[in-house]
Amino acid sequence: MEQTQRVSLLEILKVFFFIGATGFGGGMAIVSLIERVCVHEKKWVSMDEFMHGLAFGQILGPFSLNTCTFVGYYLRGSVGGILAASAFIAPSFILVCLLSWLYFRFHELPQLQSALNGTNPIIIALIIVAALGMGRSKVKGNEAWLMALAAFAASAFFNTSALTILVAAAVWSLGWSWYRREHR
Amino acid sequence: MGGLFKLAWLFLKIGVVFFGGGYVLIPLLHRIMVDQLRWLTLKEFLDGVALSQLTPGPLAMLATFTGFKAAGFPGAFAGTVCIFLPCTVLMLAISSHYEKMRNMELIRTILDGLLPAVVGLVAAAAWTLGKTSLVSVRDFLLLAAGLLILQFTKVSPMFVILGAAAIGLIFHFN
Repeated sequence: MEQTQRVSLLEILKVFFFIGATGFGGGMAIVSLIERVCVHEKKWVSMDEFMHGLAFGQILGPFSLNTCTFVGYYLRGSVGGILAASAFIAPSFILVCLLSWLYFRFHELPQLQSALNGTNPIIIALIIVAALGMGRSKVKGNEAWLMALAAFAASAFFNTSALTILVAAAVWSLGWSWYRREHR
Repeated sequence: MGGLFKLAWLFLKIGVVFFGGGYVLIPLLHRIMVDQLRWLTLKEFLDGVALSQLTPGPLAMLATFTGFKAAGFPGAFAGTVCIFLPCTVLMLAISSHYEKMRNMELIRTILDGLLPAVVGLVAAAAWTLGKTSLVSVRDFLLLAAGLLILQFTKVSPMFVILGAAAIGLIFHFN
């Protein structure tokens, strides 16, 4: 994607801090937020690049944080990556410090659960919208559908780890491309 | 100061081994924090897991909680930075080679080929979350409203989330 103008560090800080402050639900909710803001609204990265970053991020553990790092790096190099990651973690860090302090002082968890229960359906809606958008642009043809469904089933019904699924998908796509080349 | 250094080193090591997913972290931290070092009681540990899941950050925010218990605010800060340092450095390394890798045909074939699986994984997250938290008519109404707003309007999703949290607080969802 062509960058007409460099995105300012302040802008990166603001966007990822805001994502980190409101993305309750974590994990894929964060990813869906980043996709919505950075791919669709700001057009900072293309859908392909974003999904590549997500795939790498899932291989390395905390993928919500890793996706922030990836987008930040893409925009402004290492400084941008570290800034995006820090800005994203900062609100959670402040919140956990505050809650830990209350907890070790009063030995009770605050009643935030009902607020979270209200957000859950919205988080799910957010993730579904993101999946639909990604699917419309990236899942074309029977073979792609088969892979998407297999990945969905493996993760949703058999608790297979993302790492295993992505490695299998990589082998699958490599095998297919060789097969097609041989049988043209 | 020595204690803080030990804490930082410990979380750095944990940060290196927890590639592959946040849930490896729970048994690992449990063994180290509760059984070996006795920094936390079992109840504190479980409450810490619940507490870190209240936040938008990854499950590894548990390091912030544990660090806080062990050494107050400096401990929380050192724990957080150190547990995320290894994956962030690795992610930066991958990102810096990304442009070059993408221009190699083999890598591009693999990367583009596995995108449908990524879509499947995203959809599976919605399924897994929905299975446990969509339990009443109210939840499905909120879901439908959320889908309509997020799909067809340009309202910032952050405000939709905050609005839903306010609704949950006001009406005491349980």
